[in-house]
Amino acid sequence: MSDVQLKNIMKIYPYTEAKKEKKSLFGKKKEEKPEHHTAHLQKTEKGVIAVQQFNLDIKDKEFIVLVGPSGCGKSTTLRMVAGLEEISEGELYIDGELVNVVEPKDRDIAMVFQNYALYPHMTVYDNMAYSLKIKKLPKDEIDRKVREAAEILDITQYLDRKPKALSGGQRQRVAIGRAIVRDPKVLLMDEPLSNLDAKLRNQMRAEIIKLRQRINTTFIYVTHDQTEAMTLGDRIVVMKDGYIQQIGTPQEVFDHPRNLFVAGFIGTPAMNTFDAKLVKEGDKYYVEIENEKVELSKEKEERLLANNVESQDVILGIRPDHIQITDKGISGKVDVSELMGTSSHLHMTVMGKDCIAIIPNNGETVNYMGKDIHISFNGNVAHVFSKADDKNLEY
Amino acid sequence: MNNNAKAKSKLLLSRTVAYLVLIFLSVLCLFFFYLMILNSSHSNFELQGSFTFKFGKFFADNFNNAWNDASIKIPRGMLNSFLIAIISAVLNVYFSALTAYGIYAYDFKLKKIADAFIIAVMMIPSQVSTVGFIQLAYKYNLTNKLWLLIVPSIAGPATYFYMKQYLKATLPLEIVEAARIDGSNEFVTFNRIVLPVMKPAIAVQMIFSFIASWNNYFTPSLLLTKAEYKTVPIMIAQLRSADYSKFDLGKMYMFIMLAILPVMIVYIILSKSIIKGVTSGSVKG
Repeated sequence: MSDVQLKNIMKIYPYTEAKKEKKSLFGKKKEEKPEHHTAHLQKTEKGVIAVQQFNLDIKDKEFIVLVGPSGCGKSTTLRMVAGLEEISEGELYIDGELVNVVEPKDRDIAMVFQNYALYPHMTVYDNMAYSLKIKKLPKDEIDRKVREAAEILDITQYLDRKPKALSGGQRQRVAIGRAIVRDPKVLLMDEPLSNLDAKLRNQMRAEIIKLRQRINTTFIYVTHDQTEAMTLGDRIVVMKDGYIQQIGTPQEVFDHPRNLFVAGFIGTPAMNTFDAKLVKEGDKYYVEIENEKVELSKEKEERLLANNVESQDVILGIRPDHIQITDKGISGKVDVSELMGTSSHLHMTVMGKDCIAIIPNNGETVNYMGKDIHISFNGNVAHVFSKADDKNLEY
Repeated sequence: MNNNAKAKSKLLLSRTVAYLVLIFLSVLCLFFFYLMILNSSHSNFELQGSFTFKFGKFFADNFNNAWNDASIKIPRGMLNSFLIAIISAVLNVYFSALTAYGIYAYDFKLKKIADAFIIAVMMIPSQVSTVGFIQLAYKYNLTNKLWLLIVPSIAGPATYFYMKQYLKATLPLEIVEAARIDGSNEFVTFNRIVLPVMKPAIAVQMIFSFIASWNNYFTPSLLLTKAEYKTVPIMIAQLRSADYSKFDLGKMYMFIMLAILPVMIVYIILSKSIIKGVTSGSVKG
């Protein structure tokens, strides 16, 4: 029930590993670990920068999702909000109060961990009651709150069990219960569903949406799963290599991705890209690709015009769902056709590149396997990105 | 079918051999305990005669003689030993666990050096440091004080090392972070979250520490000179220098049995706590 402001937040991890290597005995170099986590991050003389220029205003009761590939700094950001990581630079406000150096226990936040982090020697009841006992609430109030939270999460029948007697999904419910039982100002969730199997994940995702309606608080949710991001968030923060790529509602991010990375990351299967030409004729913009010339939608034309975009070579992005099969148009060859039930996924080679199209079946199934076909698209779903810096020309 | 029978007989053979070896080793270990109990039930006269596997009728007599001995006050010795051993064990285990947790869970400058230093202390033979310790005790007139034998046990580098390894293997730091977020301060987290997780390690180290302290002869024999402060090992040593004309072997075996009994009881109580998998179910493995 609070707003959270992150102003120019930055996290630097000082070099410790490197120094150790220098000191290692006999001058033997240690085998280099495959550090995919830090490989892309910026390195300065102070250390590896995990997060930088992070500015975000989270409104009261908003559900914010931080999403990005592993090592993008999303968990680090969350842990800085929680107070588990020191903030190297910048300011963090909760409810207008600067909390950079406030202990986690005094921030009045709750957190759900990826691997549950339940107290193994305590029963479910004690796990959930722990924070309230620390606060020294009266016993009957603790009991009422724990049972209320257990009721919401449907774990009342497990209150006497220990965590090891629960399944993964139940454990995660307990972890969520432990977080909501104390009505925190901000509820932080660090990939809470990533340890569950696919079916359970879908179910829990729906439960989190329901939970959100029942407990009115500010959520910050970290995930690498773009489906979770799209379905849960009021706003999504897409991150990569420590930088924010785009902040926006799920619809905004999906319809107007700010750059190629966001375009490829949000949406499955990923957006297809082609080399194409953007042509400006008066106030109109066209995309030319092979022998196709498609006029962009009015909305897109206005945005491009506002940015004074001239004719140029561009990267054209089309989502698989927006590709249509036509009689003439861009020619391609279907390599594999996967029948998904209501639609078919066509894996094609178009202009020498792999391309995926989702074609609705409409009651009849056409086998496209191995066929030469022509595809096209509408002007309202074509995304044009600059060849120079991968940015969406609409912005 | 034939192959199956062959495999079965092979398994039987290997099992038989294994069990025979194990039975032999068990007998080897337990025989001396049997001998001790057996001998403590015979009179001095019987013991000087021929050996028998049968239990004698003098168990109660021997017990009375030993318990009420005028020169060697075994009840007092047992009380002294027990107090020293149990308090030492508790302090040693608690503070070693606290230190291990501190080094394991926190990042601070000189952390590695502190760790190395504690391990280095482990390398110094206790006899070497005892010389200085005894000199210090005599200089400040601290002989015949039981607490002097208890306080140094707080620093137990070997226990610390064991605890640290155990924490590394079993305590995910997320639990500690979860506790922090739940609002508990660091000390409460240690006492209420970390210590229960470490229960098996604590039980093991309590046993070791208790036994080491109970059996310790070297330092107490140098520091405790008054009869009322003497510990059991000192009394057992006194037995050997006793007057041979009044020597009672049955009583002596009873003394030895009394000396071992508490160790066995402590072991039986604590070994129940050595259960595996206290942390299982806490975090996804």
